[in-house]
Amino acid sequence: MALLESVELTVSYGGLHANDHVNLSVEEGKVVGLIGPNGAGKTTFIDAITGFTKPSAGRIVFDGRDISGDGPAARADRGLTRTFQSLELFDDLTVRDNLLVSAERPSFVGTFLDLVKPKRKGTAQSQVDWALATMGLSDVADRLTVDLSHGQRKLVSVARALANKPKLVLLDEPAAGLDTAESQILGSHLREFLNHDMTVFLIDHDMGLVLNVCDYIYVLDFGRIIAEGTPTEIRSNPAVIGAYLGESAGEMQAEQGRVAGERAHA
Amino acid sequence: MKDALAFLVLGLGSGGFFALLAIGIVIAYRGSGVINFAQGAIATFSAFEYYSIRKKGIIRMPWVDILPTRTLNLPVNIKLSESGKVGYLLGLILALLMAVFIGALMHFLVFRPLRSAAPLGKVIGSLGIMLYLQGVILRNFGSDNPQPLVVLPKNNFENFAWLGKPLGRENFWLAVMAGMVALGLWLLYRFTRFGLATRAAAGNEKGAVLLGYSPEKLALSNWAISALLAGVAGIFVGSITGAMNPVKFSNLMVAALGAALIGNLSSIPIAAIGGICLGMLQSFTTTWLTAELFPKSNTLPSASRDAFPLIVIVVVLIFRGKSLPIRGTVEEKKLPLSPYPKRVWQHTLIWGTVAIIAAYQFQGSKWALPLTTSLIAAMAMLSYVVLTGYVGQISVAQMSIAGVAAFLMARMMANGKISSDQPFPVSGPNLPWVISAVIGIVVAVIVGVLLGLPALRIRGIQLAVVTIAAAVSLQSLYFENSDLTGLTAGSNAVVTDPTVFGIQLRSIGKSGLNDNPNFTIFCVVVLAILAIGVSNLRRSGTGRRFLAVRANERAAAAAGVDVLRTKLLAFAIASAIAGVAGVMTSFQQVSVSSANWVFGFSLAVLAFSYLGGITSVNGAIVGGLLYANGMITAFGNHHYDGVVEYASIIGGVSMIFTAIQNPAGIAARLQPGLQYLGTWLLKARRPEWTAAIKRVVPGMALAAIPVIVLMFFKVTEWRNWYLLMVPAIALFIRAISLEIINAVKKRRSSASPATAAQPVTESARLVEQGA
Repeated sequence: MALLESVELTVSYGGLHANDHVNLSVEEGKVVGLIGPNGAGKTTFIDAITGFTKPSAGRIVFDGRDISGDGPAARADRGLTRTFQSLELFDDLTVRDNLLVSAERPSFVGTFLDLVKPKRKGTAQSQVDWALATMGLSDVADRLTVDLSHGQRKLVSVARALANKPKLVLLDEPAAGLDTAESQILGSHLREFLNHDMTVFLIDHDMGLVLNVCDYIYVLDFGRIIAEGTPTEIRSNPAVIGAYLGESAGEMQAEQGRVAGERAHA
Repeated sequence: MKDALAFLVLGLGSGGFFALLAIGIVIAYRGSGVINFAQGAIATFSAFEYYSIRKKGIIRMPWVDILPTRTLNLPVNIKLSESGKVGYLLGLILALLMAVFIGALMHFLVFRPLRSAAPLGKVIGSLGIMLYLQGVILRNFGSDNPQPLVVLPKNNFENFAWLGKPLGRENFWLAVMAGMVALGLWLLYRFTRFGLATRAAAGNEKGAVLLGYSPEKLALSNWAISALLAGVAGIFVGSITGAMNPVKFSNLMVAALGAALIGNLSSIPIAAIGGICLGMLQSFTTTWLTAELFPKSNTLPSASRDAFPLIVIVVVLIFRGKSLPIRGTVEEKKLPLSPYPKRVWQHTLIWGTVAIIAAYQFQGSKWALPLTTSLIAAMAMLSYVVLTGYVGQISVAQMSIAGVAAFLMARMMANGKISSDQPFPVSGPNLPWVISAVIGIVVAVIVGVLLGLPALRIRGIQLAVVTIAAAVSLQSLYFENSDLTGLTAGSNAVVTDPTVFGIQLRSIGKSGLNDNPNFTIFCVVVLAILAIGVSNLRRSGTGRRFLAVRANERAAAAAGVDVLRTKLLAFAIASAIAGVAGVMTSFQQVSVSSANWVFGFSLAVLAFSYLGGITSVNGAIVGGLLYANGMITAFGNHHYDGVVEYASIIGGVSMIFTAIQNPAGIAARLQPGLQYLGTWLLKARRPEWTAAIKRVVPGMALAAIPVIVLMFFKVTEWRNWYLLMVPAIALFIRAISLEIINAVKKRRSSASPATAAQPVTESARLVEQGA
């Protein structure tokens, strides 16, 4: 049983199908990738999965339940969190507080306790410490997010998605704006998540990263899935090379990524 | 049926008036992205100006004599004719030119500097203008409220459209005029290059600049047109709305805003039609419909007049709103950072003790009342700290919610008997004060949450419009509604004196002044509890979620924060605090009257809490001290007689100034200096003290000179104060100047690496220093 399944998911803006009958499934304990050229509907797909866009047809099944009717916050509660391409951090809060927002859950009694005793120890604290340590942010935990470098801000956005120990993290272009070395580090982090009972769903432009990190890849073009398979299959799939990788350029990028990846592993 | 139609037609006049104001609002919004709440105030000013020119031959400028000299002044009055009479056409032209002049001033002095400010800043700017103009009208045109001059033909159509009722020609012509203006402006914006450029700049300012248009000039022209329309509306409305007064048209703004929103703040013809329809339907519901449905009620007509536009506004906005902002929505500029409070208990203990000592010191003097006023105003402002400072929701109705608590508490205390305070009996359950107060606060919370419901789909400036409409509606639906309050002929509701374990907490002491120290201590304790609660909120999980929602609703939802729940919780907490403030105000005034809970009260509290600093508890306390008739005004009035008359003008100007120069408020400026002083006092040892004394003593000697001079002239009253204040002022100035020197040094040393590093250190410092 797949952890996440989208069944015939369709999202339309006016007459345009941004997602056209997308069937996709994410197996538990895997890193699954979604690639596609600009405007293929990747972010729309994540928006639909996480409840930010209302699909016009189709179902979303997560962890054995149909979550199509839930709001974004309820889906996050169920263990389905995401990052944003444009980060969207809480700039008024420190890094630790950013993560705490995601890790803590309000309760009726807790609200009243907050007025009297604001700093209470809870499981949220240890989760946040773990997420900070995982993303290497422990040193900057008490700084405001606006004071960090772009790369660090990226890491905070990923850490925030991890902080409530989700079952599935959806990462929307986490490597955009990172240099090759930074994206390699990010890639190695992603594989580590699997050891903590997390599944990863990755959207990215960086072919090197996607082909190296993912166990299984879907290719989206004009809102439709045009190919799926293991990285090796995708690399040699003529439809993908035609639609997305273009000519040999994409292939070259993939090759570079693979070599660099092997070097990093060695 | 004929009657019903006749009443519809009777609303043509006020409909035309709303339409003219609404068109002005739409034009200003398209030109500069500001919803101008001062549109009604400009109309009022123009009506008074026209009256003054025609009847007295005097042009009065939109400013006043400057305190306290009355010498270094621009001319305020220009006399046109010795006979005191000016012709009809000349008067009209001059009055309209003055409106255009006000529009241009608004552009240059307020909205141009605010063009890249947060929406709250722009709201505060336009509310500041409104407050300022109201103050200027009161000051320049006096408080006599004349009947307005009639410009349009006044006599009646005896049997208009064979409906069997007379209709004033004025009504008819005003509606026709609004229609003509709408048509003319529609043509102007549709078919001229100027109109095209304005629409282009409204769509994409950068694009318009690239095409060679100056958004500045366009904004200026649009402000001029908008203000001109307000002037036209104010002058030509003539006798339709009755006698003039300084806040007259500001209260009619709600319907005009409703009409502008119907036109989606972008369509002139729809706004005009919306305005006329609103006026007609309002006349229909207030006169015919309520009389048919509720023939017995004599207060419902005026109540439904104000509630009707509210319903229209809420419905229109809810249908247009989105529960979460969509992707790609331009990120609006944010409110200033909300500092993390530190050493809350220590501060509360120190300042609480100071206030309690003051409570005893002020017994029997005129200072006791300002002190409690400041304390209670600070409570009211804490409600804005939670709602606007933490969660970023702009509500202008918090004091109306406080009013709900006050009126309900008074009703719960009423016992139906006649006493010396209460000539007219008010029936009620005669409950003890604690239970009455709790009931009042609980109902205030319910009303506040209901008011918060539109906020789930409506954001920013539009929410401010809804809350203004709600505030005006609460005023006429509840506070002025004798069916609910049980009050006869505008009398006051009497409030039972609070007592705790036999200790009398009545605010009026033995001497008959409002100086009972027990009551002041009661206020201090309540404020301390609220302040600690609000500080704790900022430091807790709830506060983090509040700030997360304020920063980014989409990201908050993605992080699992239930945005709707969080906003409603904020409305509930803020309303509870407002309710407490309402209850305490009633105890302070020993009675509740509708005159004290007008909509302007909410505005004043919002203004001063923004001035103090809307994002922190310290800001609320500074705001409370600054508040009209609070400690600082009382101090000012003590030294410069008559400063109170300028409260509205000073308030308006400082709102505008704060919005432009210092959006974080005064508290954020004072904090670093005081913090520095505090750390210094704790850490300084002998060498530091000697060095400081060496530096401070000459300053103190200098500052002592005026004191000695005053003593020489035997101005005994001032002396005590100045002697006490001199060391404090000297140390304070020293701290501030050192702060500035340090900042300059730091800037010089960091100037070489990158200028981009500057905001980083600034925000880091703010967090470090906290409260």
